[in-house]
Amino acid sequence: MIYQQLKDKNFEIVSVAQDTNGVKDAGPWITAAHPTYTILIDEQHLVSKIYNMVNVPTGVWIDEQGKIVRPNEVAFVNNQFKDFSGLDSAPYLNALRDWIERGDKSTYVMSEERLREKLAVNDPNVILAAAEFGLGAHLYKSGHLSEAIPHFKEAQRLNPKSWNYKRQAYALSDAKRDYGTTFMDEVQKSGGSKVYYQPPDLPPDAHPKDKKP
Amino acid sequence: MMTWRFSTGAFLLFLLMARVPAQGKQIRATLLYDGQTTEISTADEDAGQLWITTADLKRATRFELKPQGVCRDELCFPLPKSRQSEFVRKSAGKSWFNLMAFAQLVHQPVAHDEALSTWYFGLRSDQRQNLSSLEAPNFTLADIEGTPHSLSDFRGKKILLITWASW
Repeated sequence: MIYQQLKDKNFEIVSVAQDTNGVKDAGPWITAAHPTYTILIDEQHLVSKIYNMVNVPTGVWIDEQGKIVRPNEVAFVNNQFKDFSGLDSAPYLNALRDWIERGDKSTYVMSEERLREKLAVNDPNVILAAAEFGLGAHLYKSGHLSEAIPHFKEAQRLNPKSWNYKRQAYALSDAKRDYGTTFMDEVQKSGGSKVYYQPPDLPPDAHPKDKKP
Repeated sequence: MMTWRFSTGAFLLFLLMARVPAQGKQIRATLLYDGQTTEISTADEDAGQLWITTADLKRATRFELKPQGVCRDELCFPLPKSRQSEFVRKSAGKSWFNLMAFAQLVHQPVAHDEALSTWYFGLRSDQRQNLSSLEAPNFTLADIEGTPHSLSDFRGKKILLITWASW
C-alpha cells in the first residue's frame, strides 16, 4: 500500500467515506481494510460539498501550508476496480511519489492560474443542488424516503455531473422503482464504464528513471 | 421599454411587500443549518420568507443580532441600513429575523420541503472554497471509533485527501 511506502516522508492520507448511512454502510469496509491511515465517515457528504466533488474516488493534494496543489481528480490508489474503470493506478501513484519527493518542484503541482481556473464554481445550480441533496438525505434519515426522492431528483437535475447524487440516492432506494434507472444503466448511457471515469490529467513524468515501480 | 416597466413595477411591489411587516402563516419548522437540526415551535412563513425569533436564530444557527450586523464568533455580516425591515421586525413583544432574506444576503442556497415544513440552508459564501488563497477548506469528521479529526490537524504534512463510498 502506498501509505506504507510514503508515511515516513511527512505524508498523510485522509480518506473520507461519503455515506449517508454512516458507520452502518461504511463500517464493514473500514473494518475489513485494517487501515493504518486516517479514515473518516462523512454522513452529510460535507467534503464533496465543500470541495465540489462529483464522484468517488476523488483525490486532492494539499501541501504543508494547507494549500491545494492539485484539485479534484479521479484518484485510484490501487487496481481493485481496474476491470470496471479501465484505469491503472500506476500513473497516479507515480505522480504522487514525485510530489512527495520534490514538493513544489514536482511537475504534477499545478500553477496557481490553472488551480484557480479549475476551482472556480460560478454555477448557482451546483450550489443549490448540494442543498437539495442535503435536504433529501435528512428526510431519508428521518424516515421519509418518499418525500426525500423529489429532492434527490432535483439535486441530480441541478448538477447532472454529480455521480455522487445519483449513486447515493439509488443506494438508498429501489433505483428502478424510484428513479426508473440503475447505476449500470446510467454508466451505459454515459458511454460505458471505460469512459465513466475520466483519467487524471497528468503531465509526462520529468524524472522517470528515479522511481521504483 | 416593456422590460423596464415590468421590472420597475416588480421592484415597487417588492418594496411594498418588504416594508409591510405582514403576519404570515404561523407554523412549526425544522431547520437544518451547518449540519445541525433544530425544531422551531413558532415560525412565521410569509410569501416565501421565513421569520423566526432572534432567540431561535441563536439556537438554530448560533448567529446573533448585534449593532454591527448578524454575527457568530469572529464572523459578522452587516445588514444594509436601508433594508433593515426586510431582516428584522418586532411583533408580539419579540424580535423576529428573516432567515430567507439573510440567506440571500450571504449567497446561501436554501432547499425547502413544504409538506414536512423543513428548510435546509446550504453553504454560505464564507464556507466555500477560498479562491484567493487556494487554501484547502477545513472540516472535522469522526473516525469509526467516534474520534473527531480535522484536516487542519495534519498541517505541516503533505496530504492526499481522498473520498470513497460503500455504494
